Amino acid sequence: MSTAIAAEPAAAAPSSAVTVKNVTFGRLLRSEWIKLWSLRSTWWTLASTAVVLIVGAVGFSALIYFITKEAGAEELGMMGLSGPGALVWGYPVASLVVAVLGCMVITGEYGTGMIRSTFASAPRRLDAFAAKGVVLALVAASLTTLSLAIAWAVTLPLLPEAAAVDLTDGADLRVLYGTVMYVTLLALIAYGLGALIRHTAGAIFTVAAIFLVLPTVFNVALIGASRYEWIGTIYKFLPDVAGSQITSAGPSQAAMLAEFAGVEMLDPWVGIGVLALYTAAVLTAGAVRLKRSDP
Amino acid sequence: MIEAHGLAKRYGSKTAVDNISFTVQPGRVTGFLGPNGAGKSTTMRMIMGLDRPTAGTVTVNGRPYARHARPLAEVGALLEAKAVHSGRSAFNHLRALAATHGIPQQRVHDVIELTGLESVARKRVGGFSLGMGQRLGIAAALIGDPKTLILDEPVNGLDPEGVIWVRNLAKRLAADGRTVFLSSHLMSEVALTADHVLVIGRGRILADTSVEDLIAASERKHVRVRSPQAGDLASLLAQKDAVVTTLEPGVLEITGPDAASVGELAAAARIVLHELTPIRSTLEEAYMSLTADSVEYRSEDSRQGTTPPAAGGASTGEPVAVGTTPSAAGAQATAVEGSDR
Repeated sequence: MSTAIAAEPAAAAPSSAVTVKNVTFGRLLRSEWIKLWSLRSTWWTLASTAVVLIVGAVGFSALIYFITKEAGAEELGMMGLSGPGALVWGYPVASLVVAVLGCMVITGEYGTGMIRSTFASAPRRLDAFAAKGVVLALVAASLTTLSLAIAWAVTLPLLPEAAAVDLTDGADLRVLYGTVMYVTLLALIAYGLGALIRHTAGAIFTVAAIFLVLPTVFNVALIGASRYEWIGTIYKFLPDVAGSQITSAGPSQAAMLAEFAGVEMLDPWVGIGVLALYTAAVLTAGAVRLKRSDP
Repeated sequence: MIEAHGLAKRYGSKTAVDNISFTVQPGRVTGFLGPNGAGKSTTMRMIMGLDRPTAGTVTVNGRPYARHARPLAEVGALLEAKAVHSGRSAFNHLRALAATHGIPQQRVHDVIELTGLESVARKRVGGFSLGMGQRLGIAAALIGDPKTLILDEPVNGLDPEGVIWVRNLAKRLAADGRTVFLSSHLMSEVALTADHVLVIGRGRILADTSVEDLIAASERKHVRVRSPQAGDLASLLAQKDAVVTTLEPGVLEITGPDAASVGELAAAARIVLHELTPIRSTLEEAYMSLTADSVEYRSEDSRQGTTPPAAGGASTGEPVAVGTTPSAAGAQATAVEGSDR
């Protein structure tokens, strides 16, 4: 123990000397903001997200550039390639990285015991839970928006006219903010699962199982057993499949596969609504557990 | 002020805290004393609204902790070292806590200075020693300049200087008129720091008294005498209403008269004494006798203790209490004063 000891513990100042204000939601947001940015893991996950989105967009745009140059613009449509598709190409990986952050902001507190300090300073637990969720959602949405904006700017010179991103076009624009919505909802659903499971590895595994493993399993099932209609019904209501419809300008890969199996996908807006409902359900369950059981 | 009424916490079939009621008054240091696993930490977590009581209520300064608009100004708690994210620096941890109550950054610097953490404040808490973790916990407890302080085993892991610092700090805070509630499993620590003591064992309050009264009430004073004429002395003493026990042939333990009276009585009757020793039981023994039957984890040493059970105490007649007190450690600590040679 090398730290020096204050020789005379200064007499605790009279209460009036220290400004202590009421706990408000705004102050909880400020506290959660400080907490988020004072951990290295936040910087790592957010930097990875931006890199994946931007590098993915540049790489895919370069591919479009060469295909246009070698084979002509007509090829793009046949191959299902588009400018908006290029910009958001990295989102499945990026959203999972953001989901890891979503889990960790809450499981990290349970794992280290920090949660007790959090609830001691904010004994209205649901307020603290909400403040954390708002900060997470704001950061996830802002970062995705910013990354896509950078991706758009750096790919401007690469994308040929046939695959240009038209920001005045409703469908093109929808892909971009649809991706922001998808990533943000994924961060929140991961956050809710983190509050339910209270364990970093367990929560991340669950997110990966729902958003990676389940769709893959159903992909195989769709092809192998397309005569069972219920498989298609479940497939289109999977959180990932429903929510990701909004992230593609044309028919998505999943939609093409579903069409092959004779399943009609959900409308993009209905799909993102379904994902939002799943998120709300998981957050509610997380909030109930947070409120009911001792940290 | 902390007030608990019928407070209980059960985990499945295990009862951690069993229907306890107590009041912790401001202006003095109240020790919360009990063996490990007695329910101290659970009680403290219930006061802070972290653990939900199975039954009963507990209020701080008149209302449940969670009902306060400025909880950190009411209660500061060190519940365990490192209730802190290990990846965050001490400074940022305190800054985040302060932000919830709009506490200015200057206060963060002040408590860092007060707890002597300046040199490590910017380092991540994961690399802190237990002692530094305790200091950070105390800094966090003090940040809102609270009227009530709850300190769970505050001297754990501290070096001797740190232990003295915590003792002085607790006394100063109480002298300011604050409520200081401090737990320990060490009687000596509580005796040095606290004015009042709550003794808890197996989830029940065994004593709620001033430290002085606890010592006085459980103190056994007796005189050990070795004499070739032990039998004559014993019958003489019996006439004077003294309680005499024959420990072994020629050795008596006398409760009642002090050593001087015994010596004078022997001289008057021309009885030869080979030894005349006043024996006082220590504070540790008082504590041992109170909590003897409520110790959850018992070492082999104390289980085989050969010393006879202490008189009085809170023996509830449970079989486990028989012949187990005081422990070897307690016997070792027995003070032998003023041997008459």
